[in-house]
Amino acid sequence: MHLHKYEKIWLISGVVALALFLIILGFGAFYLGTHPQSHGITIDPANIEAHEAFQSENLGLTKVDEDKYIVNVVATAFNYDLGVDEDGNAVKNISIPKGSSVLFQVVTPDVVHGFNIAGTNVNMMVEPGYISSMEVEMKQTGEFTLLCNEYCGVGHHMMFATVEVY
Amino acid sequence: MRRNQKKHTGSENEPNLKGTFISVGVLGLIIIISWFGVFALFISR
Repeated sequence: MHLHKYEKIWLISGVVALALFLIILGFGAFYLGTHPQSHGITIDPANIEAHEAFQSENLGLTKVDEDKYIVNVVATAFNYDLGVDEDGNAVKNISIPKGSSVLFQVVTPDVVHGFNIAGTNVNMMVEPGYISSMEVEMKQTGEFTLLCNEYCGVGHHMMFATVEVY
Repeated sequence: MRRNQKKHTGSENEPNLKGTFISVGVLGLIIIISWFGVFALFISR
């Protein structure tokens, strides 16, 4: 088969790019541990409180170790349930120290919601029946908005909270 | 017939693909640069 010189150069660069992208994909999957946010861990959407993490006293930010936190959230139309403070008011603002590792675990009993902390890598879909989780290191300080980025109904735009990294 | 074939495959009669090569090269560079831009953003955040 005869190939033009330029075609050969183009094909070789295509194969090199493919190999490079596959190596980076492997690095992300096996070294960085990146995986789909909802990877088959199921929960009964009609009875989410049966799971310990989503009982009302365990919602919101919990410190588990030095620089290690867990955030359990129940997303409903149209609210993020982050637990209550000492006065019994709903928490709408959580503060996390910079550099700490945070495991977000989110479920929904109703419809598909989004869980996006704008400006960070925290971005996942929350589907009824599945526990969506991802662990991230909060690398940058600032005040970030946690918002729903999957249209979930008429109150979709009112679904937000604030995450402060200090 | 044989002479015609030879003419077609001979390197001195190859079509000029310089413009094609430059345009796909520019497109490839745009794709690669934007891919690495997004990847760097993901890694840094």
